[in-house]
Amino acid sequence: MGCDMNFEDIKKKVGAEFPEDVTFSEKHGCRFLDTKPYVFKKVLSFLKDECDFEYLVDVVAAHWPKRKEKFDVIYNVFSITNKIRVFVRLKIEADSLETVTDLWKSALFLEREQYDLVGVRFEGHPDLRRILMPEYFEGNPLKKDYPLKGRKWFNETDEQQLGISFSK
Amino acid sequence: MGVMEHKFSDNILTTSVDGLVNWARRSSLWPVTFGLACCAIEMMATGAARYDLDRLGVIFRATPRQSDVMIVAGTVTRKMAPVLRKVYNQMPEPKWVIAMGSCATSGGIFDTYATVQGVDEIVPVDFYIPGCPPRPESLLDAIVALQQQIKTEKILRK
Amino acid sequence: MQNTEVKDREQNQVSELITVNMGPQHPSTHGVLRLVVDLDGETIADVRPDVGFLHRGVEKLAENRTYHQFIPLTDRLDYLSPLSNNLGYCLAVEKFFDVKIPERAEYLRVILAELSRIVSHLVWIATHALDIGAMTVFIYAFREREYVLDLFEIATGQRMTSSWMRVGGIRDDVPEEFFKRLGKFVSILDERVDTYERLLTKNRIWLKRTKGIGYLSKEDALSYGVSGPIMRGSGIDFDLRRDEPYGIYDRFDFEVPVYEDGDVYARYLIRLKEIREAKKIIKQAMEGIPEGPTMTDDPRVAYPSHEEVYEKMEALIRRFYIVSKGFKPPKGHTYGCVEAPKGELGYYIISDGDAKPYRLKIRAPSFVNLGALPEMSRGYMLADLVAVIGSVDIVLGEIDR
Repeated sequence: MGCDMNFEDIKKKVGAEFPEDVTFSEKHGCRFLDTKPYVFKKVLSFLKDECDFEYLVDVVAAHWPKRKEKFDVIYNVFSITNKIRVFVRLKIEADSLETVTDLWKSALFLEREQYDLVGVRFEGHPDLRRILMPEYFEGNPLKKDYPLKGRKWFNETDEQQLGISFSK
Repeated sequence: MGVMEHKFSDNILTTSVDGLVNWARRSSLWPVTFGLACCAIEMMATGAARYDLDRLGVIFRATPRQSDVMIVAGTVTRKMAPVLRKVYNQMPEPKWVIAMGSCATSGGIFDTYATVQGVDEIVPVDFYIPGCPPRPESLLDAIVALQQQIKTEKILRK
Repeated sequence: MQNTEVKDREQNQVSELITVNMGPQHPSTHGVLRLVVDLDGETIADVRPDVGFLHRGVEKLAENRTYHQFIPLTDRLDYLSPLSNNLGYCLAVEKFFDVKIPERAEYLRVILAELSRIVSHLVWIATHALDIGAMTVFIYAFREREYVLDLFEIATGQRMTSSWMRVGGIRDDVPEEFFKRLGKFVSILDERVDTYERLLTKNRIWLKRTKGIGYLSKEDALSYGVSGPIMRGSGIDFDLRRDEPYGIYDRFDFEVPVYEDGDVYARYLIRLKEIREAKKIIKQAMEGIPEGPTMTDDPRVAYPSHEEVYEKMEALIRRFYIVSKGFKPPKGHTYGCVEAPKGELGYYIISDGDAKPYRLKIRAPSFVNLGALPEMSRGYMLADLVAVIGSVDIVLGEIDR
């Protein structure tokens, strides 16, 4: 229903609106839109309003310690009317980024999770706090310098005064 | 039993009373529902129609104040550990703990920054059931073994 | 009763809210979910979910295991339908190599995935009905579930958590006994689901407790990114098996139930219909399944069979290499998703050319569906919250990973 756009039409539309900031590629069965970090929110809201991408599926962040651009952030958006899926990728140096909670409400939980685990701050998020790890935890487990078996934080606080302590 | 516990020697009166009390305790073991992860589903399947737990006198109670045994089924994480200890403290004596599954016994395949490697770091455990998840027959075996252990307990006798 | 009426009443008066904790150990929260509920008398003003009590660090473990070694860990995510999770992961990794899966393996994958869907929906109806008060349905549904677990045991050797899918096919062929029992199960399933319908669908108590409760509008459903039966219950006609088909789902003929009401009752009807549609798919797959191998012979991913390993030196070396070191996909990003019983389950893999993934993100449907829970429960009573949680059908293993 509606206009049936495929990836070629989207490329033309987005390429016309943002001529130098966006590049397109298709690899391993997925369609990618690599964008520069200062326009990514405009690209996402253009996709939502003009190309019918009304559904944000996922937000993924990855930590690359040895690269200049330390974080990779990927937005997985889907269009139900055109049945097409696009990944918007960007690389950022600092660890803060604008939030997209005003476009899609599913970002409320998804961005909180990436803030908790990878350490990317989303400016403008209404309620940015830890979601999976407890509040007194310090650090970001999915960063590459955090050890897999880093359990020293178990004994750092006895938050309910129950007297339990861990040996392993 | 309070003041009368572990004071008397073996005679026909004390062994009969002990036998009666032990029979009452082992035939109506009420666990508090502490299903955390996948093993909880196997625990529910053990309580369902094919491997019936009700024939052993086991009824799942939601509150720790009215239960005898805590079956820890699933992975215990550091965030959940104080909750587990609190629920254990709220259970009245006599109480037993069964650690069901590899994650409760020793952390299982999750040797990571957030999991407690075995629930015996937090509460004293009576029985460990290996398996991932253990078959319902294993859980039945553990409960029957617990009942055998209770049969030999001494309450009035020294 | 719609949401808007109660909201107007709330704006006219300012009252003190009581904060109540529905703690992690609770008989009705389907696992270790903590909800902090703000109450205005008996009406819910706000619900704040607090998750993470089962966070086991699966994504960090993925960065330290080879691609094959991660398959058993995917089982433990949505532990009610383990084979669907395996399938999603294998699809994602196969996209790196663009493997051609043999026909028999594709059909068996479809049969096992649809059986997992039936098992998951049976546990859903058992626990949902138990929370609302209908204990009989629990016993009946678990009896059906035992049949399917017997089938899984014949095919894979394990009742739950079987890790039977592999990159490039499935682990091994199924014995003849499996198809005999599957035929018998498929023939009795319809009347059993009719029993549940007779007990619940037109029951006055069930209707009072589920009709009009937990309303989620179409715009909110799209904005909150919910998927699966919740999305279809709010009027959005979308199903990954039909609209972005993976495997051989485009060869089967099945309906996708969609209702406009957006309440708990609509989601209940959808899931019962999905059990019947899954049975239809299994029947069609059983009729069309061909003979053949169950694992691809692409040398990059598949390891050679036992006979070759015992006879040829090169096969032994290749098997040892793949099992101990793991295969190395090319650099890049990929995404593979399936229509799990709870919604859209996806795996986003970033590979840097090594035998272990660089970053693996699991898009869990229950995690995103839980974000819509506050919207669905504002304005209703505390007892309705239990019905709404049951209809969202959360699995904490997936939410917390």
